[in-house]
Amino acid sequence: MKMSNEIKMSDAAALGLEQEKKAVKKKGHFGIMRNKFLYLMILPGFIYFVIFKYLPMGGLIISFQDYQPYLGISDSPWVGMKHFIRLFTEPTFFMLLSNTLILFALNIVIFFPLPIILALMLNEVRHRYFKNAIQTIIYIPHFMSWVIIVSITYVFLTVDGGVVNEMLAAIGLPKISFLTSPEWLRTMYMAQIIWKELGWSTIIYLAAITVVDTQLYEAAEMDGAGRWRKTWHVTLPAIRPVIITLLILKIGSTLDLGFEHMYLLLNSLNREVAEIFDTYIYTAGLKNGQLSFSTAVGLFKGLVGLVLIMLANRLAKKFGEDGVY
Amino acid sequence: MKKERQIAMKRLAAVMVSSAIALTACGGQGASSGEYDANSKATITWLNILHTASPPTDTILNKLEEKTNSDITFSWIPDASKEERINTALASDSLADIVTLTMLDNSSVRNSLKSGLFWEVEPYLKDYPNLAKISPDTIKSASIGGKLYGIPFQKDLARNGVTLRKDWLDKLGLEVPKTTDELMEVARAFTEDDPDGNGQDDTTGFVDRNDLVYGAFKTLGSYFGTPNNWQVSADGKMTPEFMTDGYLKTMNYMKQLYDKGYMNKDFAVTAKTDQQQKFAQGKAGIYVGALFDSKNLLNMSKGVQDNMQLVMANDITSTGKESDRAIWAANNGIGGLLAFPRTEVKDEAQLKRILQFVNDLLDEDSYALMTYGIEGTHYKLDDKDAATIINTDLWQQEVQPFAASRPKESGFKIHDADPLKQQADKMIADNANYAVLNPAYSLDSETYNTQGSELQKIITDATYKYILGEIDEAGFKEALETWKSSGGNSIIAEYEAAYKQAQGQ
Repeated sequence: MKMSNEIKMSDAAALGLEQEKKAVKKKGHFGIMRNKFLYLMILPGFIYFVIFKYLPMGGLIISFQDYQPYLGISDSPWVGMKHFIRLFTEPTFFMLLSNTLILFALNIVIFFPLPIILALMLNEVRHRYFKNAIQTIIYIPHFMSWVIIVSITYVFLTVDGGVVNEMLAAIGLPKISFLTSPEWLRTMYMAQIIWKELGWSTIIYLAAITVVDTQLYEAAEMDGAGRWRKTWHVTLPAIRPVIITLLILKIGSTLDLGFEHMYLLLNSLNREVAEIFDTYIYTAGLKNGQLSFSTAVGLFKGLVGLVLIMLANRLAKKFGEDGVY
Repeated sequence: MKKERQIAMKRLAAVMVSSAIALTACGGQGASSGEYDANSKATITWLNILHTASPPTDTILNKLEEKTNSDITFSWIPDASKEERINTALASDSLADIVTLTMLDNSSVRNSLKSGLFWEVEPYLKDYPNLAKISPDTIKSASIGGKLYGIPFQKDLARNGVTLRKDWLDKLGLEVPKTTDELMEVARAFTEDDPDGNGQDDTTGFVDRNDLVYGAFKTLGSYFGTPNNWQVSADGKMTPEFMTDGYLKTMNYMKQLYDKGYMNKDFAVTAKTDQQQKFAQGKAGIYVGALFDSKNLLNMSKGVQDNMQLVMANDITSTGKESDRAIWAANNGIGGLLAFPRTEVKDEAQLKRILQFVNDLLDEDSYALMTYGIEGTHYKLDDKDAATIINTDLWQQEVQPFAASRPKESGFKIHDADPLKQQADKMIADNANYAVLNPAYSLDSETYNTQGSELQKIITDATYKYILGEIDEAGFKEALETWKSSGGNSIIAEYEAAYKQAQGQ
């Protein structure tokens, strides 16, 4: 929950930043004094980023050291690329990379379009109270913690008396050990994400849809467009910039696949598909105290994320959109 | 990137906390020479592990402070997050006067002990009556590189065994099993012969959890003659347990239990509480774990399975021969260390005062206080020093959290009046005669320290897969090769060298 709030925050910050950039372009660099209150409004966000995002980056130094807590950063021995070499030569590396990238791809391909479709459908609901009720209901799962969601899944799917398996047995089908088979891990993971986050993710799209100029709909109606045509030719093009921006941001943050979520699903039998960078960093770094090595893994993961976001941004620009920077 | 930030944030918070602790800790002591005043009031901070859901109230704490003439401030770490929290505390130097270290094989704990972050205490033990009684064997086991960096928690050597439903055995006309084959037969009967007599196929023999060590696997392993982690031959060759015949036999036994449905199918994802619940609800009749769990299981079944009767077994073997009896000893009977960091305990005088405090904790009175609580409030005592808890809820709230902080758990006059607990204690004491120690426990391997836990995952995963039938023996052998080539060979070589060195001494 904390993380998705964070994403939302940075989404909003990025949107704001974009408008800020345009303003600067028009007025040149001399608007600072005139707009000092606007700049003052940036300050809290700026401080937040410096303290929580930039200063801690200094700690990345330890990925090139054999960091010993009691020696501190200044006295720990430098070992150059040792930890990176270990990471790239360990057999777990390809498993981690492919698991992370596959889940990332599933997130983009399957999850990303769903909130857009749902938002468009909600937009077509005529009855206001019905729409509000639906919206409220689909927001609720977002406020549950992963612990609760994974526990509920466990109770439903366990082979020892879980509802789903009892039903399968009742209609004569073999029981399926969802929780321990690698084949079901990704399905379960995606289903849980969709259930938890789908409703909440529609918010920005719904907001974007409400600002679409109603004249456009009227004009389309004059031309004989039905609901389907209006959605396709008016609504979607109007929210296209929002979709592109969110897609880029999503690509940047999706490598954070949700440590908590995956850690709860992970067990000895599905590790080959479930171990991702986040869980590996936690077990190797915090539980086993290999601080330097896990920092190296984290740094590598950050770099992969950076490359992905740059690619996405370039792609967006190619298609004539603004991108995020 | 997020992770680094979290670490950094925690470090910041930890630094703030530790400076606050340091400030309070400095207030207590004055003298800086090696002498200390035994009658002075000690101010002690204690970073301790909490095994219950919430920390204790002050009732027992006040009594303890009175008894030991001290002022104790606890920082509790939940057991479930101890690895993370202890590592962060070590990394950020946010420790306390006393630090409870329970995971001596964790690489960062080991490294910090070896680095000299903590006081070496062995030379001081002789000055304190209770500490002087710690056996040389215990000291040897608890030492790292031949040095003792804290007061060891003295646990029973081997606590594990099998708990069975006696009422079910009686109903089906079965005896308490003596061999693994008989145990299998009991598991079959509990599964197929409707032991609860409700006409439904709703019971299994075993109920196990997602733990190959403290669950059923390792204890059954002992019955098949598996060594405890490592086996050392006469000529100093070390073999890890999972390359022995006993381990393979144990896997086959578990596989049979799984395949035939004599145990809960989802054991690989079952938590300890769920396991105990299932047993208490009468869904299974065989529980393998610590013998004293039987008392809890019976308590949990009150109101659910009121006719439950339990019997324990600690003499099962695969051969039926008494000479083959064996049971693994968890951490060779060492529950961890009470360690004293030099950064907090600045001089010898302060250390000596704290050792005095630990010595006082080993007194009969302190033991009674931390085990049963206050007489009349939490428990009543009969004329044979047998204690019965009279207010379980209050006891759980105020006393139970202290149980894991006792530096020693047996050898006191006062004892539990509960017959099941008494029997469990007797069996645990009996187990000590058959305990299998881990010969590598106090040896050091650099590769094990850094990659041991990662490598163990290869074996743990393969073991589960073998039991569930996802890989066969060839697949398991393949995993062993992976283990060897990813660092296992170095671990073997390093242990063999360390063993040779230790023998030479």
